[in-house]
Amino acid sequence: MGFFSKTLDPVIALVTIAVLDIFLFVIVGAWTVGGGETMMTGLAAKAVLGDSIEKIPFWHLVFPPTWGYWKIYISLGMIFGAFVSAVISKEFYLRIPRRLSEWVMITIGGLLMGIGIRLAFVCNVSTFFGLTPQMNMGGYLAISGIIAGAWVGSMAYKKILGV
Amino acid sequence: MSVLGECLIAFIFGSCVGVLVQRSRFCNAAALRDAILFKSFRNTKALLVAMIVLTIGFTGFMTIGQGHPMHFDVGLNQLIGLFIFGIGMVLAGACTVSTWVKAGEGNVGAAWALLFTFIGMFLFSLVWTVNYWPPAPISMTGEPNLEALQFGFANAATLQEKLKIPAIFFGILQAGVLYAIYRAIVKRENRHVQTNTNAVVKKVAAE
Repeated sequence: MGFFSKTLDPVIALVTIAVLDIFLFVIVGAWTVGGGETMMTGLAAKAVLGDSIEKIPFWHLVFPPTWGYWKIYISLGMIFGAFVSAVISKEFYLRIPRRLSEWVMITIGGLLMGIGIRLAFVCNVSTFFGLTPQMNMGGYLAISGIIAGAWVGSMAYKKILGV
Repeated sequence: MSVLGECLIAFIFGSCVGVLVQRSRFCNAAALRDAILFKSFRNTKALLVAMIVLTIGFTGFMTIGQGHPMHFDVGLNQLIGLFIFGIGMVLAGACTVSTWVKAGEGNVGAAWALLFTFIGMFLFSLVWTVNYWPPAPISMTGEPNLEALQFGFANAATLQEKLKIPAIFFGILQAGVLYAIYRAIVKRENRHVQTNTNAVVKKVAAE
């Protein structure tokens, strides 16, 4: 159980994930998160709006909601694996942001992430662990965008939190 | 492969990622933010090493026509979308992976970020109804469509097809560039450690 009692070197963790991702690439497709999240959004919207969702073209032209979309289960697996790992390593406990500024930043940040993923058709995982290693032209565009965005975000973060 | 099989494999893969990321505290947002703000490269180095392994692995399989590369036209929307995403990721303090992993650890802020990611996606779906941009994948042709700010489709496999040079060759070149960036970071860190050590030695000698 030593594995759960100390922090793992991120290089070892990421190389292991990369090897598993290569197997996934051969079997179904490379690791991605944004696609599964979009499908979950569609399923949640369908549960709330019912057949009215048909009036929004995006949900039948781009992402018709279905539970049989494999990318959903990557995200569900990640939360499950993290939960099990946190419980075994006694690191599971509720962490609640204390300051209002944190809540505001997280809310705006979450919204921007959602809008950005859908506008780009890709998330950060597809960018670094899918498109770019496949040498897809979109990977280089996405990397340029995310680095510039992270720089602007970091400057805002520095100003707001005074780090 | 059956749909159930695909979903099962995806869940097993996701579970392994969840455990490894939880134990290593890796975060893509931190890989960029910490490098920019604090000149700390713990996560950045891990990201680069993973990209080297993936580039060799993916282009290797693409050389022999195996694997499932992502296939859709790309354009300015990737640049603008990930720019917006990059700002959001730093403000939220988590990327797509770490929102799920931190939520699994009981982090309410991460679960809140996840909820608003979903809301952001839904809001985008409403805006898309107005302008239909970027174009839906069903209307993509693989060729440039400059009117819609789309550049078409190209990856290591299309390079192999057009230039008759194995995809792995381009993969090795890209891996070399990534390794050069990794080496530059390690050298910078070593220089920093050396400078700090010299400063401490000078201070002790002065005392």
